[in-house]
Amino acid sequence: MLNPGDKAPDFVGRDHTGKTVKLSDFKGKPVVLWFFPKADTAG
Amino acid sequence: MIIGVSFDTPADNKKFAEKNSFNFPLICDTDRTIGTVYGANVDPQKGAQRVGVVIDRDGKIKEWHERVDPRAWPAAVVGTL
Repeated sequence: MLNPGDKAPDFVGRDHTGKTVKLSDFKGKPVVLWFFPKADTAG
Repeated sequence: MIIGVSFDTPADNKKFAEKNSFNFPLICDTDRTIGTVYGANVDPQKGAQRVGVVIDRDGKIKEWHERVDPRAWPAAVVGTL
């Protein structure tokens, strides 16, 4: 678990369009990271 | 900036993004690396837990929520940034 004030762990991933997304690319901007269980489910 | 993350394939997430007209990236964390680091890989048999994280301009955790409302939370929190 992460706590407020901790350094956000950097990550690199590939998005649904095949583009590489890196947390460090958004330096200087706030980022909302939103995890969801399964594409296309409401639960 | 909103970034969605699930453990689904790019094909599944592409459909999901198109259906909902999302204009932000959905990361396909199929090996669960990001989910594990951020505490969303709670049950390896299931999909990601609905963890919500706000990272400030300095790259620090501002908020970490164990479970957020998928419909309301991302939009609500973006309004506070």
